[in-house]
Amino acid sequence: MNFDALMLEMAVALLALLILVADLLMEPGQSRRKLGYLAIAGLTGLLLVSLGRYGMQGAFFNGLFLQDDYALFFKQTFLIGAILVCLFSLDTVDNLPHSRAEFYVLLLFAVVGMMILASANDLITLYVGIELMTFSFFILVGYVLCETKSTEAAIKYLVLASAASAVMLYGMSLLFGIAGQLSYNALAKGLTASPALIVGGVMVLSGFAFKIAAPPFHMWAPDVYEGAPIPVTALLAMGSKAAGFAAMVRIFAEVFPGTGYPWPLLLLLLSGAAMLVGNLAAIPQTNLKRMLAYSSVAQAGYLLTGMLSGGFAGVKGVLFYLMIYVFANVGAFAVLTAVSRHRNGETIGDIAGLSRKAPVLAVVMTVSLLSMAGIPPLAGFVGKFFLFSSAIDAGYLWIAVLGFVLSMVSVYYYLNVVKSMYLGAPADDRPFEIAMPVRVTAVFAMAATLAMGVYPGPLSQLAETAAKTVFK
Amino acid sequence: MSFPVLSTILFAPIAGAAAITFLPTTAGSTIKKVSAASMGISFLLSLMVFFGYNWQTGGMQFVETLTWLPEMGASYSLGVDGLSAPMILLTALIGFAGVFASWRVDERPKEFFILFLLLVAGVAGTFVARDLFLFLLCYEVVVIPIYIMIILWGSSKRVTKEYAAMKLTIYLLLGSAFLLAGILMLYLNAYPAGARTFSMEALAKAASSGALSPEFQKFAFFFVMLGFGSLLSMWPFHSWSPDGYAGAPTAVSMVHAGVLKKIGGYGLIRIGLLMLPLGFKFWAPLIAAFGVANVAYAAFIALVQKDMKYVVGYSSVSHMGYVLIGIAAADVIGINGAVANMFAHGVMSALFFAMIGHIYHATHTRHIPDLGGLAHQMPRATVGFFLAGMASLGLPGLISFVPEFTIFVGSFKAFPLFAVLAIAGIILTALYVLRVLADVLFGPRRSEWDGVHDLHGADWVPLVVLGAFLIGFGFFPSLLMDVVNSGIEPLTPLLVKIKTAATLWGGL
Amino acid sequence: MIGLSHYLLVGAALFGLGLFGLLTKRNLIAVLMSIELMLNSVNINLVAFSRFSATDAAAGQVFSLFIIAVAAAEVAVGLALAYAIYRGRDTVSVDEMNWLKW
Repeated sequence: MNFDALMLEMAVALLALLILVADLLMEPGQSRRKLGYLAIAGLTGLLLVSLGRYGMQGAFFNGLFLQDDYALFFKQTFLIGAILVCLFSLDTVDNLPHSRAEFYVLLLFAVVGMMILASANDLITLYVGIELMTFSFFILVGYVLCETKSTEAAIKYLVLASAASAVMLYGMSLLFGIAGQLSYNALAKGLTASPALIVGGVMVLSGFAFKIAAPPFHMWAPDVYEGAPIPVTALLAMGSKAAGFAAMVRIFAEVFPGTGYPWPLLLLLLSGAAMLVGNLAAIPQTNLKRMLAYSSVAQAGYLLTGMLSGGFAGVKGVLFYLMIYVFANVGAFAVLTAVSRHRNGETIGDIAGLSRKAPVLAVVMTVSLLSMAGIPPLAGFVGKFFLFSSAIDAGYLWIAVLGFVLSMVSVYYYLNVVKSMYLGAPADDRPFEIAMPVRVTAVFAMAATLAMGVYPGPLSQLAETAAKTVFK
Repeated sequence: MSFPVLSTILFAPIAGAAAITFLPTTAGSTIKKVSAASMGISFLLSLMVFFGYNWQTGGMQFVETLTWLPEMGASYSLGVDGLSAPMILLTALIGFAGVFASWRVDERPKEFFILFLLLVAGVAGTFVARDLFLFLLCYEVVVIPIYIMIILWGSSKRVTKEYAAMKLTIYLLLGSAFLLAGILMLYLNAYPAGARTFSMEALAKAASSGALSPEFQKFAFFFVMLGFGSLLSMWPFHSWSPDGYAGAPTAVSMVHAGVLKKIGGYGLIRIGLLMLPLGFKFWAPLIAAFGVANVAYAAFIALVQKDMKYVVGYSSVSHMGYVLIGIAAADVIGINGAVANMFAHGVMSALFFAMIGHIYHATHTRHIPDLGGLAHQMPRATVGFFLAGMASLGLPGLISFVPEFTIFVGSFKAFPLFAVLAIAGIILTALYVLRVLADVLFGPRRSEWDGVHDLHGADWVPLVVLGAFLIGFGFFPSLLMDVVNSGIEPLTPLLVKIKTAATLWGGL
Repeated sequence: MIGLSHYLLVGAALFGLGLFGLLTKRNLIAVLMSIELMLNSVNINLVAFSRFSATDAAAGQVFSLFIIAVAAAEVAVGLALAYAIYRGRDTVSVDEMNWLKW
């Protein structure tokens, strides 16, 4: 047994347990902020350790678990996302009515689930990873039990996610029936063209489409995003999507090619639908969380174009885009946290006049949204450049044109937010307080978005190295 | 390595914007001085570039190259040739004048000048970039500051400023979506994977070496044409332009009409003609036809406008028609004229908008029937307005006479019918310009305008600087034409080569 | 003689029933039960495949054990949430959950 391969997952799980125990030792009424700092420090340490782990390669535990640069890149994405989310949720957690420490614990367990997903090399590992992540999210989404919106969002998420995994499992059982085994390598050899492969493949794809919120399996996203506490929404938006892609890219790269499963066509349809539905449905939204939910549907569409080419160039784009999406998301949601604490709401009217009250936050919001839209010199532009150029290179010109056009359409609803922030009159005269951690997170996210837009070299090289380990 | 002149031109406004970020919101006059200083540096250096450019040797000069993103084949490389030297001068000139034209912006000056400086830096970047990736980066960066500036400091007349700003933004961005797709196709097809590059020289070489099939060039050029055409307000993608200018604050109108539009024409030559020559030749008749539509259609509409800014807005659409016809003629004389006319129109429309801005500031109206006889109260503004108007209708001795004349000479060989129609457009131009001049400036003295301020203090700067170029380049056109020609003359072999290439409608 | 296809038919029927229940039942508890039906149909499939055709017979059975364990956890969370909803609104009908609009 090679426990070194599991080091990161075990360390995060241990950190979670440590916080759980420390919580018991603390006085009931005491602030749990220290535990938050502990989580941040632990995750940051692990992130630093993980930087030195590139090049480690191999399957472990009878091929259930695969450690490679690709998985490592995703794990770092999750770690960065979790650190930033912890950082700007410190104050939100302080104001929770009950069980504050468990918030961090569940958040860490969700991260463990995502990490397992990135390394999954077998349908069982895949399933366990998905469910560990999703179950933690069920509880996190419904965290504020006395708030009915939150509970309602949680139960909706639970029902729909469970149904989606049941469908995915049924598809997996069909794949198992054809190939007789569950590991990716064996599936790649054992799958043969048959109607059952099509049905099973489509069912597995629907499961993934649910996780990345691609139509027609995106309906949960707006409700759950709106109902969940903001930090959870942030982690859900980037973590669930990134983890879904991590597992999906690997299975589509290693299992399906050469089996006669028409995956490029399905991905093409999924991608076009996601871009159209996400961008068009986002236009009339007035609640910013719902708008960001639809925008995340659109982002899933852009990301799917990177998978069409079936080569490392596109996957490099997916990796790059997901990393910068983390920063854009964190920036937007950190600002939203501050606004929501001040106004107790997160509609486009609540954010009005933000540029007068908190000019820095208004700039962060603008930069984050424009990065999602792909306006240079922000990181989103480079990300879209990688994704769409890989699609054009593989002969899918029109999906790239559609992507370009719709990302410009998306500027419309992003600019409506900008307009409200800069032109609208503030809804009240109370001074705007910004907690220090929120300010730090927001400014850091903006700096990262700008830096990676102007000088994407290092990150794109890292993404390329990682992508090449999937396409040997 | 010698002093990085072009980088300084590019980064002086950015540095100014960065410095302003740290100033308090209330320090209005310091903010303006910092902006003026940083634009002043750019302006002086760009004068140095333009007059220091050796047009006898030609080619790329003031070259700077730094590795940037080698794995993508993009580098930070700057340079100017005869095509871009006038453009960079124009950018810095109008940027400099724009700061002074905005001297009376007292509402949220900090944000205004930060955005304005970023806008000018973005425009400057597109003209000095020798790398297509850098070009794209700068090209799109300009749209967002414009949006925010229009909604915050703009004015609502016929349409609300929010509507105008969004219309302008979405039009330009949709155009750029097609442009991006076209440029990506070009990038991916010019060289095989691994050898790909964004270098403009290398991409132009790929076209001339026959790496790009005629079919591909026709296809890709169509995308590029949509992108640059909408930026240049080519008919039928022009309707954002008058609304946008009318809504925008003075300085934004100046930069937008003066230089930003010119990126469209510049790009059609630099990217369309040089990198996709066969595609260019194929679509040239369509461009020329749209150009004639621009000239005639916009001039007719300008005739009946009651808002001064709409008149100038439509007139700039109309003038861009000449540029399109000149470029589409695809011969050295025509393109020379087009480039020179872009410069001329830039200076002239900037002066127009600056003077309108001043009159509006003083009288609080732009409605032509409400105005009249302003020459009595505002003699200095009248001089500026009159100069711009005369340049607009192509009076000999002012900047735009020689360029327009050159365009007609150049395009007459290629498109005789269109050239005649376009020349006829000059009559319309004269009509609407003279109508505005007469209705606004002349006529009996009106007592309600007795107390208004004429140009004073900082207001002088746009008039003096822009007026100097208007007259100087009018009397000494060779100052401009020699530089431009040194950039276009080397295209002769390419233009001869595509002379017989297939065109749409058999070339009319 | 009962063969693989019989088991698969039962599995498919169960899955269909579960899906039907999921879409038509208005009671939250019934919806959760429908999901259980779907998961169990997967178990039948997996066990049947590992008995009749799989090269790696243990894999399918191990997988179904995992599914059973995870399904139990899911019901625990689901019922807890259903209880929280019931406390707040005195109902567990899906129709009443309209605070968030689709």
